[in-house]
Amino acid sequence: MESRPRQEAPEAGDAHGHCQTEIEVTHGFGLHARPSVTFTRLARSFPCSVEIEVNGSNVWLNGKSIVKMIGARIRRGTILKIRARGLRAAEAIRALKALVERDFDEEKKHGRSA
Amino acid sequence: MAEALEIVGICASPGVAIGTVHLAADVTAETFAPFYTVAAEREKLRQAVGVAVTDLSALADRLDEESAGILDFQVEMLLDPALVEMAEERIVGGDGAALAWAGALDRYIAGIEEAPDEQLRARAVDVVDIRNRVLRALTGRPVEDFAPGSVFVGKDLEPSHFLAHDWSAGGGIVLFDGSASSHVAMLARSRGIPMVVATGRFEIGDGLRVLVDASDALVVIDPEDARIRKAKSRMASASPSAPAQPGGTVETADGVAIRLSAIINDRQELKATDPSSFAGIGLMRTEFLIASPADAFDEEKHYEVCRQALDWAGSAPVIVRMLDLGGDKTLPGLGAKKSESFMGVRGIRLLLALPELARVQARALLRAAAHGNLSVLLPMVTVPDELDSMRTIFEEELAVLVRRGVEARMPEIGMMVEVPAAALMLDRFSRSAFFSFGTNDLAQYLMAAARGDQSVAGLYEVAAPAVCRLIGQSVALAEAMKRPLGICGEMASEPRHVPALMAAGLRHFSVAPSRIADIRSAIGGSCSDGRAAAEKR
Repeated sequence: MESRPRQEAPEAGDAHGHCQTEIEVTHGFGLHARPSVTFTRLARSFPCSVEIEVNGSNVWLNGKSIVKMIGARIRRGTILKIRARGLRAAEAIRALKALVERDFDEEKKHGRSA
Repeated sequence: MAEALEIVGICASPGVAIGTVHLAADVTAETFAPFYTVAAEREKLRQAVGVAVTDLSALADRLDEESAGILDFQVEMLLDPALVEMAEERIVGGDGAALAWAGALDRYIAGIEEAPDEQLRARAVDVVDIRNRVLRALTGRPVEDFAPGSVFVGKDLEPSHFLAHDWSAGGGIVLFDGSASSHVAMLARSRGIPMVVATGRFEIGDGLRVLVDASDALVVIDPEDARIRKAKSRMASASPSAPAQPGGTVETADGVAIRLSAIINDRQELKATDPSSFAGIGLMRTEFLIASPADAFDEEKHYEVCRQALDWAGSAPVIVRMLDLGGDKTLPGLGAKKSESFMGVRGIRLLLALPELARVQARALLRAAAHGNLSVLLPMVTVPDELDSMRTIFEEELAVLVRRGVEARMPEIGMMVEVPAAALMLDRFSRSAFFSFGTNDLAQYLMAAARGDQSVAGLYEVAAPAVCRLIGQSVALAEAMKRPLGICGEMASEPRHVPALMAAGLRHFSVAPSRIADIRSAIGGSCSDGRAAAEKR
């Protein structure tokens, strides 16, 4: 994992499969219904634990739980910290971060070009 | 011929029925006990969630991608153990499955609704949908129904069981215990189902033919044909049903107008009753409309029933009483455990103790009120604080509905006067928009004689003078406050009590539809001061 290239500064990981990143949610509708489904499904595809923290609240929620994600009331402009621990943690963080940056692939789902 | 066995009881609802016996298994505390265990409630909830997921997935398969996506979200929510765990915490705390689920989900929904983001708040609707779907799947313990036309024989019969049964083919009820003043007796009378109670336990086989000659308070096992003919012929001659008269008011012999409204217990009564004979509905009981705890939390069900009642009444007023559970009206897991006593947590006490339940019904009533002349009646109010707390719930829920863009209106909120303390202190309830006397409870509390206890039925029977004196005092208080008041207890459906109630000052009676003709003639034959028309002058 250490050998993989990392461009963004906020991303941090260690040799024991512990990785964390921070990102601003830019999708217009924030993170609800369908984006949450996409996010949690992706999170669940990794064996590591995935947790999120909203706006520096210091409360870490299970990022694989849609119930917790919806309850976290994530909206446009929310600063999201994502951390993963365990197998393929760095890969999970990269994939989840990319998903948020792509606005959860919502454009694609509306039939427009990705 | 074999000797027919006759058993004497007490008539709870007159008439004659012949049918085969349906012998009910005794519903004892032991039979109920496993039903209330944490493990059983947890299992019930898990199963209901499973059913909801299956239904949703099947539905999603039939829809286009966009719509299916919304259901997909709901499926994901249900598959997430977090939701069930929130409810399970409450199950461990002693709540039944339906109450635990509704409570946990309502709290979660409230959290989403506080979101500063409009789009996110809108997601609450999806969670409401999820909540309701699981509640519908949680239909509770299926009632053991019996063949139409048969005679129910057992220790007791629950009102919800009575209502779940199809009585259109006739049949009758024989109870070993029971009481003529129980709610199920009241329902039997309003439907014309012959019922005999307090027979004591007797041996009888399932499927035997039995004659219920309720007018004579007799049960005849394996009756001879001649005995059946005798009972039937007497029944035919004894029921000269007076023709229904239109108009919601009737004049006393001295020309005072008395308003007559209907008491409605369930949808079937609504269908069977001609609205033109009544000035709307003076009491719609909602506790009999629900057959299970899940129904109690089904906002749509509450709403639909209210809309039906408003449609029935046209422009006339409809007074809907909030769930009056507790006492002898219980649902599994609701008002059943701690409030067996008539002196315990029942009526508004139970509603305020279970605000999740109160809020569901408040929302339904607020929504229905936008469509007609609907008022809300609160059961068992004892002190003004209770009235104020419920008003606050209505105000809060109205704000939520308005924020959601749902059509709603604040109805007038009045109270039942059925606790002696409330009747004596009526002037303290200035926030009550109207008053309605509930004589069944007023009588049992004044006489310290439980309605369901046959051994003190004699005391309950002679409560009328005390009830009328108390009503007379309260009427004076209500008039000074310029608040409308009426009566909706069973006394108002008893022609022999009508003169005394008019003398006490009552001018608005809510009566069982089946008694309307008798009540009309009783009012027409009396002066407003209660004297018989002939005595005057």
